[in-house]
Amino acid sequence: MTTQLTQSQLDDLARDLDAIRDEVRADLGERDARYIRRIIRLHRTLEIGGRVLMPFGFIPPVFVAGVASLGVAKIIENMEIGHNVMHGQYDWMNDPSLHSQTYEWDTVCTGDSWRQTHNYEHHTYTNVIGKDRDYGYAVLRLSDDEKWKPWHLLQFINYLMLTVFFQWGVGLHELESERIRRREIKLSDKKAFLRDFFRKGGRQAFKDYVFFPALTFPVFPIVLAGNVCANLVRNLWSSTVIFCGHFTEDAETFSEASIENESRGQWYLRQLTGSSNFTGGKWVHILSGHLSHQIEHHVFPDIPAHRYREIAPRVEAVCRKYGLKYNTGSFGKQYWTVLKRIAHYSLPDRVRVKLEAQAV
Amino acid sequence: MLSTIRSQGALHWLGRQLFNRDDPGAFFDPLLAVLNPMWVRGFVPARLLDVIDETADTRTFRLRPSARWQGFRAGQHVNVIVDVDGVRQHRTFTISSAPSQWRTDGTLTLTVKRHPGGHVTHWMHDHLRPGTILGISQAFGEFDLPPSGQPKPLLYIMGGSGVTPALSHLVSLAERDYRAPVTLLYYVRTQADVIGAETLYALAARWPALSLHVFATEEQGEAALLNEQHLDAVPGFAARDAYLCGPPGLMDRANALLARYGVQEEQIRCTFFSAPTAVAADTPLGGAVTFARSDIHVDSDGDAPLLEIAEAAELNPAYGCRMGICHQCSCRKTEGTVVNRLTGKASGPGEETIQLCISVPQGPVTVDL
Repeated sequence: MTTQLTQSQLDDLARDLDAIRDEVRADLGERDARYIRRIIRLHRTLEIGGRVLMPFGFIPPVFVAGVASLGVAKIIENMEIGHNVMHGQYDWMNDPSLHSQTYEWDTVCTGDSWRQTHNYEHHTYTNVIGKDRDYGYAVLRLSDDEKWKPWHLLQFINYLMLTVFFQWGVGLHELESERIRRREIKLSDKKAFLRDFFRKGGRQAFKDYVFFPALTFPVFPIVLAGNVCANLVRNLWSSTVIFCGHFTEDAETFSEASIENESRGQWYLRQLTGSSNFTGGKWVHILSGHLSHQIEHHVFPDIPAHRYREIAPRVEAVCRKYGLKYNTGSFGKQYWTVLKRIAHYSLPDRVRVKLEAQAV
Repeated sequence: MLSTIRSQGALHWLGRQLFNRDDPGAFFDPLLAVLNPMWVRGFVPARLLDVIDETADTRTFRLRPSARWQGFRAGQHVNVIVDVDGVRQHRTFTISSAPSQWRTDGTLTLTVKRHPGGHVTHWMHDHLRPGTILGISQAFGEFDLPPSGQPKPLLYIMGGSGVTPALSHLVSLAERDYRAPVTLLYYVRTQADVIGAETLYALAARWPALSLHVFATEEQGEAALLNEQHLDAVPGFAARDAYLCGPPGLMDRANALLARYGVQEEQIRCTFFSAPTAVAADTPLGGAVTFARSDIHVDSDGDAPLLEIAEAAELNPAYGCRMGICHQCSCRKTEGTVVNRLTGKASGPGEETIQLCISVPQGPVTVDL
């Protein structure tokens, strides 16, 4: 289902998108610095607020407020600050605390592991089956490039587990457990990774499940429960946002052979057609780290994310010009197509094809 | 004492666990910067007290750093940290006041000349007003006064804004009541360009050991450029310890002259900082590349990106996509200009983060690798 363009069309496409990127790059400055600093201030305020409210969580509305405050703090830190800073979106600011290669975020996955599996592997080989391990996170079958096996019938349970424990799943992504199962690599090959994983995972668990509960000893069950809830809120939201970015109904997939000697235009094309957006208000965009503009993000991963909203109409116009589908829709609609896709591909191909034929 | 260090160590460890960063104190900076910018932990905040016009293009900024600043020796420098158009800039300036001033009223002065083509010095002149908070580093540098004890005769050869360390030195020496003769040969374009004029002339008037000679090269012509006669007029100069600071032309001339007169290298101390200058736009691609941390120097030509140059020099920097997307290979460039292969744009000349895989040197470049 790969979209076809001629080489000269691809070159034009690259030129058009480069022009948008160059224009934004040249305009980066005070406004972008003020934006990210304001978001960071908001994060600090919400985190402190959540931590302070949590011990008073024996009053039910305060518990809800504490969970919301800490949960949203974690969402903002992971999505709008951590993810984007680690993409190098703010490297130009020359601020050591916003440096892509040294930033460490408030989640189990280490910054280094994320930079390898996400920034490099996922963003370079987006939706290339076999190379982009983010495609289904090696636990979900989302295209017929992968052969159906009976255990795929249960993949909806896998999906629920993945979304609930998302931060641990992401943290363990680099382990490549599916390759260990297939005996392509040995567990001992991953010693260095596992050491870092346990250190960072331990640090995160210590903070939320030991230190802050212990600090407020008499009410520790409440603080512990509140912190678990805040992490859960973050896990559910961030996994949902990410699933809506690549696993919607029409997001395209690619084969390894198709990306050999890929030109810049082809790379752009793959990013445009392999990603999907969802619409929403300003806060939906901020809380999703602007991954609601997954298409713009994949085309320009290192441009400050709050700019995606502004350039979206121009990217959409470029898509129109080359007859490409600009995959967008409401959050609910996009998420529904994700769930449908997970369900469909859990079925054997024969059943799935028949079902799809009936639906049409 | 030991227990404070231990408890601080424990606190630091705990901070690292809670905030996922090596400088946990700076976690609250974004809020502190709003509440009271003097509480910021990421750098030493300093309040600008006043701005004094020295010459048409040079101003002195008097600062009071927060209590965390550890003081300095005469002749040392600090990095000033300012955000210009959203970009954090570091520039090195020599402290022009004496340590005694900091000890008595907690202030220091930096004397800054508008650097032609220098973005940051212009910004400082145009935007810094009394009351502004900026960041500074701890003091560093080895342009030290001679040790106290037997005073040795001294010779200062200074040019333009290079006089700043001498201002700090001379005031300190006068306070010490330094007995051996001290001569300052100061080269400026016109008399109106003398920096620290009030301090210098007052010192010369009340401190008999000092002889001050100002040469205005534009007003007095060729004869005012550093030459043999200037040195011959300084009694016993070949036996003196010499301090040099000024533009490269003057430094080269002074070094050559002193060497010709048999002044030993151990007797000479040089220092000079200038804002880095951008290369001309038509400079060809390629150039001498220095990998500072591994102390490797190589030449490159054409449009080879730094990642390939580093690999050819048998370094193994981290990398990923090799096409400018993933930032795995981002690292610090400390000097020089690079051209971004994707945009075709040249970088600034100062210290900043670059992506090795798409950065092509344009002239000499130093990378922290």
